[in-house]
Amino acid sequence: MSNEETPREMEISCLTQAYITRLQSLDVAIKSNDEEAICHIVGDLTTLRESSLYQELGMLTREIHDSITSFGNDERIAQLANEDIPDSKERLNFIVTKTDEAAHRTMAAAEEAMTVMNGLSVDAVTVLNRWSQFRNRELSKDEFTSLSDQITQFFESVVVQSSTVNKQMTDIMLAQDYQDITGQMIQQVVTMVKEVEEKLVRLVAITGLADAPPASKKEESKAVNGEIAVGPQLPNVDKKIVVSSQSDVDDLLASLGF
Amino acid sequence: MDKDLKILIVDDFSTMRRIIKNLLRDLGFNNTSEADDGQTALPMLKTGKFDFLVTDWNMPGMDGLVLLKSVRADPDICNMPVLMVTAEAKREQIVIAAGAGVNGYVVKPFTAVTLKEKIEKIFDRLEK
Repeated sequence: MSNEETPREMEISCLTQAYITRLQSLDVAIKSNDEEAICHIVGDLTTLRESSLYQELGMLTREIHDSITSFGNDERIAQLANEDIPDSKERLNFIVTKTDEAAHRTMAAAEEAMTVMNGLSVDAVTVLNRWSQFRNRELSKDEFTSLSDQITQFFESVVVQSSTVNKQMTDIMLAQDYQDITGQMIQQVVTMVKEVEEKLVRLVAITGLADAPPASKKEESKAVNGEIAVGPQLPNVDKKIVVSSQSDVDDLLASLGF
Repeated sequence: MDKDLKILIVDDFSTMRRIIKNLLRDLGFNNTSEADDGQTALPMLKTGKFDFLVTDWNMPGMDGLVLLKSVRADPDICNMPVLMVTAEAKREQIVIAAGAGVNGYVVKPFTAVTLKEKIEKIFDRLEK
């Protein structure tokens, strides 16, 4: 026997040796018609066969037992259920609130800026019309004096209103700061979900793979009654059943006679 | 197209209602009201004061599809044009909405141009 044999190989060769020894004795016993010896050796062979089977079975049982015990003793699971998942719910709610606030703040600033710009545009048209009249020599001297005042006022208001709009644009920019904090929170939740996923995969592996549905059933189990609204779809995840753009919607509706 | 048209905007998210309202105002429609789901919207529609309905699909309470079906089932308002503006983008759902009698379907996120096109298309067809 070479020294490089692994314990497993050694075990096998020992087992083989044990069989060979008994088979040789069996051969001798049969040739000499020794019934008692034949019975004894066959009994020996059966015991040998069973003991190796039980050994394998025992090892398997221990492996399963160890896996289940280690899974049950995994404190991280309790922590996930008691702390991390409720914590993630809080985070997601916070993200909803934060993005809602940012959207409203942005829209408020945009709406105000639009009002200011509309006012400026109306004033500019008025001044421009009067100015054209002056250039066509349609204004009296008094009217020109009043136009001159009007122009001065217009320029002054442009200065003030531009700074107002500028402030609103800055506010719109600042309102986007939610992205930083919510982005980080979403990443924390994604990490947590990934960990839960790994634990679940382990659980499935322990409880037996035979019962796990094949991957092809994924779509079937995800299919829902079309009348129930399910919210936004991820275009790259649900490719087959989801339209990818408004023009797809239009094509589909056109095919239905719209 | 009559710009004095009275339009009801139904969406559970106030930001989305605000965006649609602003876009409609840009298109010249100033006469808009808002509701946050079908349950609130339906009694408003039944008063007969509205000419056009823009609704989301996925809403708590009564969703947009049920609202659409309720409108079509009510003889007083069954002819009201309905535009669905929604994140529901499954082919099957668009077919169902079409079957329930929607006049136009816009998937979120959408642009001002898309909204304008769909509204104009709806009224072009109604005027024919």
